[in-house]
Amino acid sequence: MSTPNVTAEGASPEGRIAINAQDLGIQYNLRLTRKQTLRKSLINRVRGGETAFWALRHATFQLRHGESLGVVGPNGAGKSTLLQLLAGILMPSEGSLEVEGHVSSLLTLGVGFDQELSGTDNIRLGGAFMGLDHRDVEERLPAIVEYADLGDFIDAPIKTYSAGMRARLGFSIATSVQPDILLLDEVLATGDAAFREKSKARVGELVREAKAIVLVTHDMNWVTDYCNRAMLIEQGTIILEGSPEDVVRLHQERSAARREEKLRAGVFSGAKPAARR
Amino acid sequence: MLPSRTVTARSEVPTSFRSSATRPGPLSLIRIGVAETLARRRLIAYLVRADMKKTGADTLLGNFWWVIDPLLQMLIYYVLIGLILHRGGVDFPLFIVSGILPWKWFDATIKDGIHSVTGQERLIKQIYFPKLVLPVAGAMSGVVSFLFGLIPLFGLMIIAYPSHLSAYVLLIPVIAAVQFLFALSLAIGLGAINVFYRDIGNLSRHAIRFWFYLSPALYGVEEVAKLGSQHALAKTWFEINPWTYLFAAYHAVIFDAKAPEFGSLAVMAAVSIVLIGLAILLFKRLEPTFAKVL
Repeated sequence: MSTPNVTAEGASPEGRIAINAQDLGIQYNLRLTRKQTLRKSLINRVRGGETAFWALRHATFQLRHGESLGVVGPNGAGKSTLLQLLAGILMPSEGSLEVEGHVSSLLTLGVGFDQELSGTDNIRLGGAFMGLDHRDVEERLPAIVEYADLGDFIDAPIKTYSAGMRARLGFSIATSVQPDILLLDEVLATGDAAFREKSKARVGELVREAKAIVLVTHDMNWVTDYCNRAMLIEQGTIILEGSPEDVVRLHQERSAARREEKLRAGVFSGAKPAARR
Repeated sequence: MLPSRTVTARSEVPTSFRSSATRPGPLSLIRIGVAETLARRRLIAYLVRADMKKTGADTLLGNFWWVIDPLLQMLIYYVLIGLILHRGGVDFPLFIVSGILPWKWFDATIKDGIHSVTGQERLIKQIYFPKLVLPVAGAMSGVVSFLFGLIPLFGLMIIAYPSHLSAYVLLIPVIAAVQFLFALSLAIGLGAINVFYRDIGNLSRHAIRFWFYLSPALYGVEEVAKLGSQHALAKTWFEINPWTYLFAAYHAVIFDAKAPEFGSLAVMAAVSIVLIGLAILLFKRLEPTFAKVL
């Protein structure tokens, strides 16, 4: 199913290019990854062995303003790595990436900036982390607070918040800055039904305002309802890029095939008989 | 929320081109590091304020601990050295406080610096910002606690040791500025290295304590001269140890009511500025891999 209100003129080919990725690749050095101590590093150096790992490779794609790209794929496929690259958190090991416009890069929404500070202080701190002018943040503060709709909790330390409340605050901060490019990672997993509706509406609004959106999600309804393009990533490689319907269909076929294979191999058969359902 | 172009909040890098091929040279890396840190002054201020709020929040006496802490520590050293070992000399408590106050600050700055980057692991992975602000903010909050620590010092001087009080105490900020530069270079450098080798945190605890006893905080320059004449190694150590000069300067203006040695302070300031440059270079070189390694 397609949504008429999203496609609009945003998807027109004359929209400015927001993201231009050419042969993008990122390599992890396993020798340096994860809480290394000097001893482990020396041992690894002596032993040698496989140390390089490509989390994403040969990724070439473009995204225009007004487009909304849904990224799907199994866990560990490199979806979040792609978002981290787009946000500037990671530098490419290979290829080049051109990003035009202001990126709002609050990726894992609902983490918050400082657990001990109040919601209001977190909005200020978040704005400062994102490089916003503090006058702008002060100006927006009432709107963000109102949108997050946390009541008196806005003045309580965010360590007292529930996961859903954190997601609400995070989403409000990320979308309040009016980014040209909005990166969203698994926003939709948290929050109550009412807020999910609200955030859905807000994403639609941003798409209509001709912003570019990259959305990583496991919720296929979001891809078909709110994205006008989609991309399937598996094991660091772009498998298919095209219309949301095609990509979702392929993704579901391939996931089903993988599940079948695992079942046949007996991975889930003993431990999780319920997985069959 | 309609987009109104005039008030739209903007991040400072509107367009960016990132390529695996671009690699700025050492000097431009340092320049970039300094520029982006200065551009995020507001963020540093927020981080310092957040740190202040937290230190005071969980304890009964709150930020009052900044005042009590050095006095209690002074008491311990006074009992150990002054009363049990019968060393220390006249007005020893003031001598101790004038040594441990700057050291406590140094100790806190190094520790904060080491954990400044690793402690913000989650943020580094979810948002882009210049990571240099983290050790710098840590060092800045140390300045605030040091200023609070001056309260018990002056209290002690006015109440118990008015004869030591002179106009030279006004030079404390000068010495503190030199110390700040030196500590900042270590905080930045160690903060970056600790991302890769978490041993730094463990090692530093002991190294810092050892360094303290190997510096003339609880003993004076006479002791340093005596040790130096006995062992060539000790002589070299005290000559290259920045804390020999810093403690001598603090003791001079606070305890001896006389001018510090400006020459050695000037040299140390110059060396520290070079060290800060090198530390920023190291930090900026390692920064792109932080998000991968953490």
